[in-house]
Amino acid sequence: MGEHIEFMGKDIYFWNFIVLMFFTLFEVGAVFFETIPFTEIEITKLAVWGILIVVGIIKGYGIAAFFMHLRDDPRIYTRTALFPVLFVLLMLWGIGLSNPAGVTDLPSWCTPNWDYATTR
Amino acid sequence: MSGQGAHLDNSVWMRAVVMGGIILTIGIVLFGALAIGVAGQKQIAWDDAETAYHEAEHDYEVAYENYTIALAEFETGNTTLTQADLDELHDEYEDMHHAEEEAHHDEIKAHLSYLSYRVSGITVLLMSISYASFIGVGGFLNASKPNADHGDGHDDHDEHHGSSTPIVFAFGIMLFLIGFPDFVIACKALLSSEVTADVSMMALSMVGLATIVVAIANWWFEDLPFTGSGEQIATSYPFEGEHIRKVGLWVFIMSEIMVFATFFSSYLRMRTEWCTDWAIRDGVEACADVPEGTVVTASDLLRYDVATLMPGAINTFALIISSYTIVLALKTAKDTNWKPSTGFMGKLMPTRKAAVRNYLIATLALGSLFIVLKLVEWSHLVAEGFDIGTVQGSIFYIATGAHGLHVFIGLLVMLYLVFKSDTVGFDENNAQGIEYFGLYWHFVDLAWVVIFPAFYLY
Repeated sequence: MGEHIEFMGKDIYFWNFIVLMFFTLFEVGAVFFETIPFTEIEITKLAVWGILIVVGIIKGYGIAAFFMHLRDDPRIYTRTALFPVLFVLLMLWGIGLSNPAGVTDLPSWCTPNWDYATTR
Repeated sequence: MSGQGAHLDNSVWMRAVVMGGIILTIGIVLFGALAIGVAGQKQIAWDDAETAYHEAEHDYEVAYENYTIALAEFETGNTTLTQADLDELHDEYEDMHHAEEEAHHDEIKAHLSYLSYRVSGITVLLMSISYASFIGVGGFLNASKPNADHGDGHDDHDEHHGSSTPIVFAFGIMLFLIGFPDFVIACKALLSSEVTADVSMMALSMVGLATIVVAIANWWFEDLPFTGSGEQIATSYPFEGEHIRKVGLWVFIMSEIMVFATFFSSYLRMRTEWCTDWAIRDGVEACADVPEGTVVTASDLLRYDVATLMPGAINTFALIISSYTIVLALKTAKDTNWKPSTGFMGKLMPTRKAAVRNYLIATLALGSLFIVLKLVEWSHLVAEGFDIGTVQGSIFYIATGAHGLHVFIGLLVMLYLVFKSDTVGFDENNAQGIEYFGLYWHFVDLAWVVIFPAFYLY
């Protein structure tokens, strides 16, 4: 298990905890501040989206891989955990297609020759 | 799982009743301090702020009326007032307007401050009653059983004993849910004479609740003497060689991912269509003609101010810290070379058993803090007019409420783990209980990792 891996005298759980705390602070800050502190560089909506998604993935990986031991457990557990992701992706696809702009504004590679995509 | 292993006396179960009493006492003391003591002072401050606001509002109305009358007279020439007098009246009503706005802001602040203490006190009391009745009734039921029924260590350690408890538990949930709609109406009927309830369906719900409590008590009865031997192992592909309980837990988590995915996807679907202030300011074409404030989400009310974002942010940290403390509990339970630390931590955790128990108590406290802050935050949102009556409110309260319910159910299970760690104790052989519960708890944390940015920050 992860406690056998040590860095600076502390086990992997401790460092995972520190990383999770840091990234939580980072995502709250990204939303709270309109510009990067001590600069005049604006934090755009797109940047906030990017930060929230990337930080979410990092935190999710940290919890699942280390706290839930998926990194050390047999792969069948990871596959079990990832199974619903297939349905989540289907749902996201459904969200994209049922959104008002989901058909007309999608890039061409997403709308494979659907006539109504342009005529609607 | 079976009841083999160490002999347990009935008096052990009575400690659960004592634990329930201690929890209830703590709850009553905190309720008195928060909901009556501090909230009482805050209510006086709120009343004062409200009076000051109404006075400022009246002063502003008078000043504005004086100015409009003077302006009308000045424009018709039917007055001795000069332009300077008029400007002075204008400045006066502007000052009154600022004072009124400031007083209104102070009144809202005082109201929310009062709500924070009142709601947190009431929540602590209700939670302590739930905790005390859960652990107390369960302990009392098991203490009432004859001593001979308890595990006596003479069972065959390799033999697996089936348990009827999960089936009884599921049956109880079914009965509870059949009567649940009327149970809710009956709760409303207690508050209003205009609502009548179907008592028979409510009774069915209560029977379901009683069945659940009996099933859980029996589950504890079977689990408490568990020493780790006799853990059932899967014998067929693809989980061959794995603990069946662990596999079951992961399959359960798989279904939970689907539950939260439905909340998240329905929110995302609606959110992409809403013309929120953020979308309008960002120049989304479809929202060009929509005025700001048309669609208000919870995040619009929460994310721009430290005070409003604080409960959600603290809750995020609380869940992460609680995930770490339960990992520490598991690590300590499995660590055969565990040695006490020096200094304060050494006094707090003098033995391995005490360390495991205290880490679990810390997890319980952090989870309870999560629920208290969640309800404080909800009370603030409702006070600001963001209730379940709108589509935005509905999806917010359902999704965060479902998550809160998962936390609360986890806390009830954690109560038992604290009890077990304090009596039988966890070690390298029987630490599975912490490990498998930990998986659930980490999943709840993982769900929050998605809910927090989506509902609070985005």
